[in-house]
Amino acid sequence: MADVEMKPADDKAKKEETKNAEKNKPEPPTPVAEIKSNAALIEKAVANIEPRFMHRVLRSLAALRKRLNDKVLYDAVNEIFPKGAYAYPRVRECNNHLFVDSAAKASLLSWLPDASSEDQSMEIDSADVAPAKAPSAEPVPEVEVYLRLLVLHHLLTSKDTYGKALQLAQETVQKIHALNRRSMDPIAAKVWFAVMRAYELGGELSDARPLFLAAQRTASLRHDDETQAALINQLLRSYLNYSLYDQADKLVSKTKFPVSAANPQYTRYHYYLGRIRAVQLNYTDAHNNLLNAIRRAPPPKTAPGFYQAVHKLCVVVELLMGDIPERSTFRHPVLEKALRGYFDIVQAVRAGSLSQFQATLSRHAATFEADKTYTLIVRLRQNVIKTGIRRLSLSYSRISLRDICVKLHLDSEEDAEYIVGKAIRDGVIEGRIVHEKGWMECGGQKSGYGPEVSEMFARRIGYCLELHNESVKVSFCVTACFVCTAHWCVLGYAVSSQCASQGAGCCGSAREREKELAKEIQEGELDDEDAMGGDF
Amino acid sequence: MAAQQLPVLYNELVRAFEARPSDLQKCGKLLAQLKVALIETGLLFPQGDHKLEDLVAARDILEIGAFWSIRTKDVPSFDRYFSQLQTFYNDYSSVLPPSKREYPLRGLNLIRLLIQNRIADFHITLESLPLPADELASNPYISHPVHLEQWLMEGSYSKVWNAREEAPAEEYKFFVDSLMGTIRNEIASCEETAYETLPLKDAATLLFFKSQSDLLAFAKERGWQVNLTAGTVTFAHKGEEKLEIPKEKLIMNDLHYARELEQIV
Repeated sequence: MADVEMKPADDKAKKEETKNAEKNKPEPPTPVAEIKSNAALIEKAVANIEPRFMHRVLRSLAALRKRLNDKVLYDAVNEIFPKGAYAYPRVRECNNHLFVDSAAKASLLSWLPDASSEDQSMEIDSADVAPAKAPSAEPVPEVEVYLRLLVLHHLLTSKDTYGKALQLAQETVQKIHALNRRSMDPIAAKVWFAVMRAYELGGELSDARPLFLAAQRTASLRHDDETQAALINQLLRSYLNYSLYDQADKLVSKTKFPVSAANPQYTRYHYYLGRIRAVQLNYTDAHNNLLNAIRRAPPPKTAPGFYQAVHKLCVVVELLMGDIPERSTFRHPVLEKALRGYFDIVQAVRAGSLSQFQATLSRHAATFEADKTYTLIVRLRQNVIKTGIRRLSLSYSRISLRDICVKLHLDSEEDAEYIVGKAIRDGVIEGRIVHEKGWMECGGQKSGYGPEVSEMFARRIGYCLELHNESVKVSFCVTACFVCTAHWCVLGYAVSSQCASQGAGCCGSAREREKELAKEIQEGELDDEDAMGGDF
Repeated sequence: MAAQQLPVLYNELVRAFEARPSDLQKCGKLLAQLKVALIETGLLFPQGDHKLEDLVAARDILEIGAFWSIRTKDVPSFDRYFSQLQTFYNDYSSVLPPSKREYPLRGLNLIRLLIQNRIADFHITLESLPLPADELASNPYISHPVHLEQWLMEGSYSKVWNAREEAPAEEYKFFVDSLMGTIRNEIASCEETAYETLPLKDAATLLFFKSQSDLLAFAKERGWQVNLTAGTVTFAHKGEEKLEIPKEKLIMNDLHYARELEQIV
């Protein structure tokens, strides 16, 4: 019964929420107001043990981050923490909390410059923000950590405060550790990302590795999937940054990436995995992972850096597999400029011209090096030769080794003989070498109807079926989520199947809400993607 | 006790190693003693703070050990020494002065991976070298194995053959023999598919054999038919593979599709 009673209340809250959202649409709320409402949402999430609200807050993080400044944070901290916090700390069950709460505001404010005096800020507040009832109680620790996260992100925006950010990061991590609250996990995952950035910008990323490893262990013991996913990715990033592919591979094989991880984390994980596999010459796996990363990546316009980085690697891996990437990839507005060098390489490989390949390689060497794809591209040399030989074998039925040597710019006839021999053995071409006469005879082409055709079909069909099953799974999840968010709709019409037939109007509003949610998710996804973009 | 003994033994080892020709047997004995001493002083896998000269000495000992293993043709022992050196090269790189033996050893390690046909490991090691890509080409110790790998992969075996004399350090030549063995087998497998018959003389040049008897022994090993009167080698060809329809596999696939389709509909 309690269940039923709860729903109308929740229902009302929802309506208010949507109303608020509608009201706010014409002009977005000020950052301070947004932070405040987010704090309220976090309180609600903790009180109701409902992580949904928490995720909502975190989704807005990316957009909010860009609008932060010293004053906004200062005001937000002042408004969220009650005025009398120092003088009359509310008595809590736990002494520990008492200490944390009363000191929280002071410690938070200490990270912000005191440029704006309190009086000033109050004036502007009253103008900007609708008068809200003064908070009477200390906020929950989650709110404090959320504010710390905001401050941390803000400190990371300018070079002068990197040192401070690093200190704050260390302190925050200790705090999270000491509090050890499960309701904190989603925020903690975000905090870890910020911690990693702090280490990366402010010091040596490798210094943070023991810290991350320890935290990863703890997170996996506590089944804290979100933090675990975030930490695995950060460790991989740190390893790959120092080209420690061996360690990265060991980490991947020793850990299990949590299935319930969020999409952005999965995207990153696939990308890192793609890199590792490409270096290990396991191109098929690398290609699969990169394709997954591309599919899961946020829209190219919002996170161009990541999109470009994945495509660069993907183009090289496709070439190494012996495929030629699609032309349309290079015409994409986001990719066109970034992939210029790669396009030239693709052309050289397609033409099978070694000299063109070498010239392109030396011309774009700096770019490839910056992208960390140089060594991969150097490996393409043999593919260029193979393509060249293949073209020759298709167009001639008999060709002298001397001519092969000239056409492919090889150094000597002797080399040409070995190279052709190897190509025949590897099954690149069908043919024979007649040593006495010094020529190569090309055999007839294989007929196109053999068991390998069915194998090819089986592979493709398998892929399609998998795709279908995956999408069924996803759509099931979306429906489940839909039912959950839109249960007020179900409530009116008892059974969901009836609802579908009867309540077109009702579902219309629900659908709108759904759209809004989808948009939010999409926006939230980019959160730290764009921060990553620049460094690839 | 170990701490005082270490410098004495170390000096002795350096002297024994640098003597021309170096006293390999004595080096071996000293290395065994030194390793015990290193373990006792906690320098074999250093953790925390150690004196700089101690670390340098430990690194030198391990480096000499690695070279010593190559000279005594003990590859597994080289592997062990090299992995112990990793700590000094990677984790202490900011503290220790660079060692002039570091890149020769890294290069040797790359060649070792190449000879054992561990191409994936070769590339991983290459990627994790702390060198920018253009220096890979200019560093003689590293560019040698890099070129070897490239030539092996594209099939320019004659270049590999010619490069065997151009080894940048004495120790590289110890690997040449096994490298040539690898190449010969590669070439032989290519010849088996690419030619029907070959004159004996040409086969010998292609396989880099100086005398015919070597070639005959090699041909016997691989099961080639040698016709001495005509002076040709004939390669046994597997007859045209019979085209067989893998019935069982096709049926399995079809059943699988049927099941999946059932689910979709």
